[in-house]
Amino acid sequence: MEWGVLLVAGLFLPLFPQSMLFNALFARVQQPLLRAFLVLAWPQVGIVLVVAFIEELPGWLPYWGAATALMYALRALALRDIGLWAAFIATSAWSLLWISVGQGTDTRYLTLFALGMSLPLILLIFLCHWLERRFGAAYLGLYGGLAQTAPRFSGILVMVVLGILATPVFPSFFALLSMIIESMQMNLFLAVAVGTVWLLWSWAGANLLQGLVAGPKQESVGDLGCGLMWLNIAVLSGLAVTGVYCLGAVV
Amino acid sequence: MDLLVAAIPLVPILSAILILLLQEQLRHHSAWLSTSAAFLTFLLAVVVLVIEVTGEEVAQSGMGEAGGYLLADPLSAIMGVLIAGISLIVHKFSIRYMAEEAGYARFFMLLDLMTASLLVLVSASDMLTLVVAWHLVGVLLYLLLGHDTSRTNSLRYAFWTFITYRLGDIALVLGVVVLVHTYDTWSIPELLRLVREDPHAMSLLGVPATQAAALLMSVAAFARSAQFLLHNWLPYTMDGPTPVSALMHAGIVNAGGFLINRFAPVFVYSGDVLHLLFIMGLVTAIIGSVLMLAQNDIKKSLGYSTMGQMGFMIMECGVGAFSLAIYHLIAHGLFKGALFLGAGGVIGAARHDDGVPKEDLYTFVIERRPARRQPPWLFMAAVTLIIPVFVLVLAHLLVQQDFFQKQGAVVLLFFGWITGAQLIFATYRMRSERPGRLLALVLSSFVVVVVGYALISHVFEQFLYPDEKFLQLMHHASSIDIVWFDILVVVTTLIIVGGWLLTYYAEKSGKNRSYSPGRLRLILYALISREFYLADIYTWMSRGLLRLAARLNVLLRWA
Repeated sequence: MEWGVLLVAGLFLPLFPQSMLFNALFARVQQPLLRAFLVLAWPQVGIVLVVAFIEELPGWLPYWGAATALMYALRALALRDIGLWAAFIATSAWSLLWISVGQGTDTRYLTLFALGMSLPLILLIFLCHWLERRFGAAYLGLYGGLAQTAPRFSGILVMVVLGILATPVFPSFFALLSMIIESMQMNLFLAVAVGTVWLLWSWAGANLLQGLVAGPKQESVGDLGCGLMWLNIAVLSGLAVTGVYCLGAVV
Repeated sequence: MDLLVAAIPLVPILSAILILLLQEQLRHHSAWLSTSAAFLTFLLAVVVLVIEVTGEEVAQSGMGEAGGYLLADPLSAIMGVLIAGISLIVHKFSIRYMAEEAGYARFFMLLDLMTASLLVLVSASDMLTLVVAWHLVGVLLYLLLGHDTSRTNSLRYAFWTFITYRLGDIALVLGVVVLVHTYDTWSIPELLRLVREDPHAMSLLGVPATQAAALLMSVAAFARSAQFLLHNWLPYTMDGPTPVSALMHAGIVNAGGFLINRFAPVFVYSGDVLHLLFIMGLVTAIIGSVLMLAQNDIKKSLGYSTMGQMGFMIMECGVGAFSLAIYHLIAHGLFKGALFLGAGGVIGAARHDDGVPKEDLYTFVIERRPARRQPPWLFMAAVTLIIPVFVLVLAHLLVQQDFFQKQGAVVLLFFGWITGAQLIFATYRMRSERPGRLLALVLSSFVVVVVGYALISHVFEQFLYPDEKFLQLMHHASSIDIVWFDILVVVTTLIIVGGWLLTYYAEKSGKNRSYSPGRLRLILYALISREFYLADIYTWMSRGLLRLAARLNVLLRWA
């Protein structure tokens, strides 16, 4: 029974090879609202399954989770499709939750960690949809210089990507910091693996920004509306305030 | 005092928020708002330093349960003034320099956030705040270096900086986690107290926590202070705006020296890590200086000069002269900031007229024509080798009678001697109608520099580390076996003096003028001109990783 649950939980808190299902599903779903729902709910289902049905976790699972996270972070370096990029980073981030699960972290914190990692990705999904509407596809290197033609969009994109890359004071930073603290209790190499995942995310994030924002001015395609910009800023500020609050909790 | 401590980083943060909210209304006035905030920040930092100098107790200020604790102690006060001062100069310079650039208000907003992050970094009272500020500095520098988004090169080199910094960030996080696990506290003052009480507490890794943490923090310091193998980003970031280069070279790269000073007790009890700092600093200083001499681009040359200076700073920490490293970083920050801000103007002016008077110094340095009549070599050799030792020993005796007992002081003395002797050695070949006057001028400048350096570094030591016992510990920790130390000093002296004699002989016999480049020389030339092929190696490695990632994606059908 428990092995069966573990196999299913490996779909939702992704473990390779079950992780391939989420990415295949995400690639098929094109609706931004559905994609956002998937990103929001997918890891929560995994957490519920693990907490409700698994009493003792095999010791190798956090390591398998870290290996999955490393593999998807590495693979994200070679991606040009922004939607797929978001899915790979999500897979990589959620796989790391196995470390917290292995350390018996409180369910509330697990839920918050997953949310903190998913919310900036949801913003990216909407930004990706905006690009698809303007250009027909959201690919890196297809059009550059968005900072010149769409400065509001570019500003928000930079902030969202920073949120995904676990930059302080976003909640993802504190989630990742907690995972490093927890992994250090298990093994130094596990902590180094989490650090390497972080490094690879940063590389992948910089690639994303370079492929979209940088470059000489192109033909104007309009910019994000002021209302949408302030909405994004409000969500990001909310995330940052939550992060600062988490900071107090960790200290 | 508590309010003052919190107000210092808060002023630039408020300025950044106001610029974000009101940039449409403010337009070019955002620069003045930002510069006024920088001025106010500088005033507040000076007030805190004055209070610290008068002997005020260490003060703390925090955000209650949300953490974010800041403190005012001698180290944070002195670094605060340096950062606020350089930031004010950079703000003032940028008002006109950046006026024609797109994203004028955004630039000042980022500059304010960078100032605030640096101020929080130096005054952080808990390790989490320090880690947060440390990360933010890297991210903001990435955004500032890539300010001109139309130039793909600026973002490319900003990425080099970002990824090197991130490597150091992760090492810092791991080091902090080791300390938190072992000593069970996030507070820095509390941690340093516990380290002094139980310096050999074992970490989860099975080695003393101080050793593991110091090693990891060294990597963080190496990445931020551009030490060898982690230095490539520094000379290539000139595509960013000049004021950012000035701020980076004058303030941000110094963070490595600050980190080592902030966690001084951890490093003092870390065993061989101080020796590692010395070796890494020495290698960086030599390679940075060699690469600086090989550049024909002023800004790149300045970049490598910074690398060399950072090497000296880390080396000073390695010999236990922690406070000297702080003095070094302040002195270097001020002159390097001025050089960067002036570089553009100098390059522009030099296109019309190089402005160099065709005097003795010019013919010597530029045209490389030595004097026809030269003073007797035996006399000059004696002056070259003995006078610097005499001046250095006297200056050190003036401030500390027992300095010969400290290996670190002897190492620094040794470097002072080489520099002084090299200076006089060079003067010897200069054309001058009155060589005696020239030599007297050179010697008096040397005396002023050495005495000033000795006195000021002594004052810094008293201010930053008033505990005499801890000072002794620092010097003891950086020492090696006395026999090995003496052998090293004698061998190094023989190599250097032998090198001078060889150079002298080659000049005298004219061998230098008719040499044909041998194979070794060509290899060395290729290595130095290609900057040891490090950029090529890193590019090859990263392309390999990208190829692997692409193959995996194809193999797993993009899922």
